[in-house]
Amino acid sequence: MTRFNVRPYIYIAPALIYLGIWIFYPILNALVLSFFDSPTGRSRDYFWVGIENYIKLLQDDLFLKSLYHNIIWVLLSIALPVVLGLLLAVLLSGRGRTRLVYASIFFIPHTVAAVCAAIVWRWIYDPSIGPLNWLLETVGLTGRPWLADESIVLIAVNMIGSWSYYGFCVLIFMAGLQNISPELYDAAKIDGAGALQQFFYVTIPLLRNAITFVLVYTIIGSMKFFDLIFVATNGGPNEASTVVGLRIYWHSMREGRFNYAATMSTILTVVILVLSVAVIRQIVTEDEED
Amino acid sequence: MAANGSPRNKRSYNSRRMIQSAIIHAVLLLFVFIALFPIYLMFNAALKTSRELFQSFLTLPTDPQWQNFGFILNEQGYKGALYNSLILSTSSMILTTVISVLAGYGFAVYRFIGKQWLFLLVLTGLMVSETSVLIPVYQLLQDLGLLNTYGGMILPQAALGLTFGVFLMTTFFKDIPRALIDAAVVDGGSDLQVLRHVIMPLARPAIMSLALIEFMWAWNSFFFPLVIATKQWLMPMSVRIIDFMGRFTFRYDMIAATTVILFTPILILYLVTQRSFHRGITFGALKD
Repeated sequence: MTRFNVRPYIYIAPALIYLGIWIFYPILNALVLSFFDSPTGRSRDYFWVGIENYIKLLQDDLFLKSLYHNIIWVLLSIALPVVLGLLLAVLLSGRGRTRLVYASIFFIPHTVAAVCAAIVWRWIYDPSIGPLNWLLETVGLTGRPWLADESIVLIAVNMIGSWSYYGFCVLIFMAGLQNISPELYDAAKIDGAGALQQFFYVTIPLLRNAITFVLVYTIIGSMKFFDLIFVATNGGPNEASTVVGLRIYWHSMREGRFNYAATMSTILTVVILVLSVAVIRQIVTEDEED
Repeated sequence: MAANGSPRNKRSYNSRRMIQSAIIHAVLLLFVFIALFPIYLMFNAALKTSRELFQSFLTLPTDPQWQNFGFILNEQGYKGALYNSLILSTSSMILTTVISVLAGYGFAVYRFIGKQWLFLLVLTGLMVSETSVLIPVYQLLQDLGLLNTYGGMILPQAALGLTFGVFLMTTFFKDIPRALIDAAVVDGGSDLQVLRHVIMPLARPAIMSLALIEFMWAWNSFFFPLVIATKQWLMPMSVRIIDFMGRFTFRYDMIAATTVILFTPILILYLVTQRSFHRGITFGALKD
């Protein structure tokens, strides 16, 4: 065992080299780029500007707004699909094979490409010929221009995201629930715990792994998402649904301000890291207190 | 159980149970409806003329317009885009799966210096997104002359799923009993023989899960192809659809037909291999 063995390194080398080239080097490179500027966007014209890009970013209202929208998106995604996924998984637990049928159906929207989902829902939301307003008006409610109304556009787009995400959450939580032994519930019942108490004192603590995973996954997904919003609204109307991903795309691919966009990328990476670590630490610390 | 003449309190208990179960069923069915209704609308819209669609989107098409698909694939030239999607997804799936299997074998079977740190390093890749690495990746591809090539589209795409792949393969391989591997080694099996004859047969379902998920991700991917493949001949279906929307604004029948073309292969794949999909997605999440 103590003999140095070179073979494992050979097996993991391709993965490390590959990730190095396409993930780790780019992350560090984006950090480096954020301290430079370039009149042409070409690497040979770079000149050092220190933290100037960061100062500009902090004064860039559109960027701050987009970051704010990403945070709202995290909260909406936790409030809707994650909580819903948990509740549905609990409802499904204890029913035999039909459980899998339900879970499979709930998961189908997750297999729809975000681009497709955005296109279909743009039509569903269409104020004049879309099905949603027609349905609402049929039952006596008034429809709205969902994607053209600044005050609700972010929520309307999040509904599309939630539609494709809740089935994913159900699947994860359902698998987590399977690992909880039924005896624990029996014991809780004997101790006089009602359904709600069982949920909060047995289910939630024992689903800790699954909950951590889903929360971190949701945060990462919410901070980086792009496809859905790009196709559904492209950040409109009046930038009411713009997100960091769109700003990065816009500044780099449309304006050629690569260094400025790279600064945004770096901030995005840091925010994702900080939020994920915060969630993991929060839940792990609670674990230790028990 | 609920036989006639059962005590009164038992009967009321049973009827409460029945109401409860009816409510649960209603809720579950509501979410089945929410999941499937937009998909029904999508398929339905794709098979109607825009006039019929305008009259009603709920009713089934009276005269299904199957030729919509032919029109898009052949006359509008989207057959090429479908082909590009297939090349992109298959190649990046193979690349990710092979590298992940090797790394998973290394991490799961061996003990070596720096293992924990290297594994942690790989895991941090999970937190990195396309948007975070866009600019350096774009410039790297530019320097290598790979913009607007298949290679340029495939290489970074494969990297996006690699962290997940290594993680999944490592957790799966760790579940294979040590004794089996040791026995094979004692029998004089080389590493590759152990991998091929002991690990692969046991891990085939896991590898299958990974391959399917990676295929779906690449097929549905949008951001990198949008930026890297700006020439129409190279665009995969997911990107070509956008340009279609510009040309056929408000022709929702046609737009729906393109989404059906993009979605159907994945839907069929998913329906056929559900268990594999589910296994891959839940396994990684729930191992400590």
